Amino acid sequence: MQGASSGVGYGLKYQARCISDVRADTDHTSFLTGTLSLKEENEVHLIRLSSGGTELVCEGLFSHPNEIWDLRSCPFDQRIFSTVYSSGESFGAAVWQIPELYGQLNSPQLEKIASLDSLVGKINCVLWWPSGKHEKLISIDQENIFSWNLDCSKKVSQVQSQESAGMLHYLSGGAWDPHDVNAVAATCESSVQFWDLRTMKKTNSIECTHVHDLEYDTRKKHILVTAEDESGIHIWDLRMPKVPIQELPGHAHWTWTVRCNPEYDGLILSAGTDSTVNLWLSSSSSEDGMVESPTKRFNPLLNTYTDYEDCVYSVAWSTREPWIFASLSYDGRVVVESVKPYLSKK
Amino acid sequence: FIFDLPARLGKCIKSEAYADAVKFYTGAMPIFKAYGDSSFQDCKRASEEAIATIIKNLQGKLFSDSESIQSRAEAAVLLKQLDFPVDSLKAKLLEKLEQSLADLEVKTEGIESAGEDSTSHSGGGSSIGNHEASVGEFAEAVRAYRVIFPDSDKQLISLSRDLITRHFEVTEQYMQKHISSAELLNFLKIIWTDVLLLDNVLEEAGLPDFSLEAARLVVKKYISSKLTHFQQDIADSLVGPKERVGDYSLQDALEAGKKTVLQGSMDVLLDFRQLLDDKLELVIKLRDSIIDWVLEGFQVFFRTLDDHFVLLSEKKSSLDQGLKEGAQTDKALTGLVLVLSQISVFIEQSAIPTITEEIASSFSGGGARGYEYGPAFVPGEICRRFRSAGEKFVNLYIKIRTQRISVILRKRFTTPNWVKHKEPRDVHMFVDLLLQELEAARSEVKQILPQGIRKHHRSDSNGSTTSSRSNPLRDDRMGRSNTHRARSQLLETHLAKLFKQKVEIFTKVEYTQESVVSTIVKLSLKSLQEFVRLQTFNRSGFQQIQLDIQFLRMPLKEIAEDEAAVDFLLDEVIVAASERCLDPIPLEPPILDKLIQAKLAKS
Repeated sequence: MQGASSGVGYGLKYQARCISDVRADTDHTSFLTGTLSLKEENEVHLIRLSSGGTELVCEGLFSHPNEIWDLRSCPFDQRIFSTVYSSGESFGAAVWQIPELYGQLNSPQLEKIASLDSLVGKINCVLWWPSGKHEKLISIDQENIFSWNLDCSKKVSQVQSQESAGMLHYLSGGAWDPHDVNAVAATCESSVQFWDLRTMKKTNSIECTHVHDLEYDTRKKHILVTAEDESGIHIWDLRMPKVPIQELPGHAHWTWTVRCNPEYDGLILSAGTDSTVNLWLSSSSSEDGMVESPTKRFNPLLNTYTDYEDCVYSVAWSTREPWIFASLSYDGRVVVESVKPYLSKK
Repeated sequence: FIFDLPARLGKCIKSEAYADAVKFYTGAMPIFKAYGDSSFQDCKRASEEAIATIIKNLQGKLFSDSESIQSRAEAAVLLKQLDFPVDSLKAKLLEKLEQSLADLEVKTEGIESAGEDSTSHSGGGSSIGNHEASVGEFAEAVRAYRVIFPDSDKQLISLSRDLITRHFEVTEQYMQKHISSAELLNFLKIIWTDVLLLDNVLEEAGLPDFSLEAARLVVKKYISSKLTHFQQDIADSLVGPKERVGDYSLQDALEAGKKTVLQGSMDVLLDFRQLLDDKLELVIKLRDSIIDWVLEGFQVFFRTLDDHFVLLSEKKSSLDQGLKEGAQTDKALTGLVLVLSQISVFIEQSAIPTITEEIASSFSGGGARGYEYGPAFVPGEICRRFRSAGEKFVNLYIKIRTQRISVILRKRFTTPNWVKHKEPRDVHMFVDLLLQELEAARSEVKQILPQGIRKHHRSDSNGSTTSSRSNPLRDDRMGRSNTHRARSQLLETHLAKLFKQKVEIFTKVEYTQESVVSTIVKLSLKSLQEFVRLQTFNRSGFQQIQLDIQFLRMPLKEIAEDEAAVDFLLDEVIVAASERCLDPIPLEPPILDKLIQAKLAKS
């Protein structure tokens, strides 16, 4: 074991890959996470940080039919979330609802309110629009991008439009631009593609290899952060997409995911296969063009969290208390930390 | 009296007593004016003819360089007395002088041969001698004109300065080639001699100070251009000759680079030293500035050298390159990156201390820099820069190598349909590609990195990861699901390792063969595990993984020399595969052995 940990821990019974902030819950700091077990019964946990910030409590435990590869909480309804799951042989995606008064039921069951079965390829992720109430979803599978109309009350979903990325373009994930409801980014093997949802046409692309994950900066328009396997983290200004405006070293092995803080400019979390989570402060706010090497000004790495025993595949900032983040390592351990001590350094 | 005039003028012309002639003539002028048209017509005409001759002679005298200055000046005065437009003559003469400037340019052949030893002195000397003679003549002309045309100073000053400026221009042009400080000094010597010559006759031009300023610029430029050439030499030695005759091995590149850096900097410093030691008055005055320029120059030099190295290490993606050529340059690039890391280390550890010592001994003494700027040459800063450059390049090398291996692994694990995999018949061929890449890295690294001391217990590390099997929950799970005999064998090895010392994966890379290669192996195995975790296997798929991994065990341990880490990581891959398998029943050991033997027999 490492030294005394500063975070609050919670253990899932099985391995897990995804954790999501329940943004729509404005009364509590809550997270949703789900297990990835091939043989056991899988579960979705709704966990809440106590008001003192000292412990994580399980508020709801729900059985989920298959192992979960992607889980995202609906930004405008705290009881709704999407999952991408697999039974070992096939993949599927669905939108679920936690039953009302679940706290009082004996063994509450999730209601499937919509199925996102496109029956085409292996689904990678389902995206909600992060900035408000928008009853549309995007699903990205290996070759296609789908746009869905979702009607939560009628519990119906319908494909609105679909487009293929073309042969030999294996899509692996994506992100929805919080500043533009019509713009979506999708990652594929050697580039990031940008799509316009109205026309379902590709509008632009950036060359960068093996992007694992990416996120639009929630505060600034035009800024995109990518996590690449070996190359670390790149910050892009989409108005000048040829070259990144800043590079951060990332992790000792692969950088799996990056998340931008919803409140504090330039504060970025990254998690990697070296079993650490890194907190960064990017200096891309006021510089134009290329940025000088960070050693000349300050070290962008604010802190490294090492209290994990396996790769960390997912991190999530809390929207309600933006100095708090939750991280999930593959062995099913959730660690919630506060970055307050590092905020004064900004 | 007047009647005598023509005859007397004639006599004066013969005896060249022009002053008398003019005196007589001007004396007679009033009478001619009054009575020239009537009584003294013939006389006047004859006198005017004589005077015309006299004027011609006087002009001739004025233009003639062989006449003494006095007589020329006299001639000018006399011509003026005769109301002859002297100014136009002056203009003509000055124009002629200006044109002669072109002939006075320092000829570079003269400089080159002057640099040789005295045996060939005659050849070079004559050319220099010619130059000096010509400038001497020029100086004499200046002196003469000052006397002859007393108001011509301004133009003469401008002409002299022009001459000196042209000299410096020629010098600068010549500097574009690789010249030595001795040659530069030769130029300066000649210029200074000319300056003194002219200063003698035209002090008002302030030529010494003027030339000092020009010399300041030229010497500064010389220092910086010499350093620029030196930097290019270093880059060239690392990259190797354009036409590769045979193999320019990494060893060759590194040795050439080291030699160029060390020997080259000593040569450059020696060359600059000559500037300091020279006794030429012009150069002595610049001594303090020279020291500053050399120190500052070296400081900047090393900073830009670092940037130059970074440029060399960046991939040049050319779409036009054919696949084969692309592979060649790729290979060349990875090797170059490794060379750059080693030469950065060399610069930090050997070159800078030596250079610092040399600078301290030869270039000490105050410079002209103000104290508030601090010292010009800061070896500590340079060492820091190259220490981190060395690390940066070795990490880049590792990154390039692991990226290539990632491509192989990605293809291997994303292509098959693992859920419907067939029974394993052979070890999969990706192991060959993997081992090939690792061998290539090992052979590169063997060329220029030293061997480390074999350590069996690595007690110091940064960022270790604990064995993930120390999590009791997971072991429970493993225990619960494994009941088959072969499965329990797997479990036993796991339990045994539970109590083993922590295995460190992400240790800091050292500049040794073992460290670099084993880091590449460890990172590649970690990537392998990640790819496995993303898949779902049926029993045969799991067995295929088991077979491939078992085959890799021996060769990888031999390549990486860190047996514990390799075993651990390979076990982690098996664990990951079994977790992702619905029915993880491993192959029986005899079958495993048979298939592995079959593979070994083939290769």
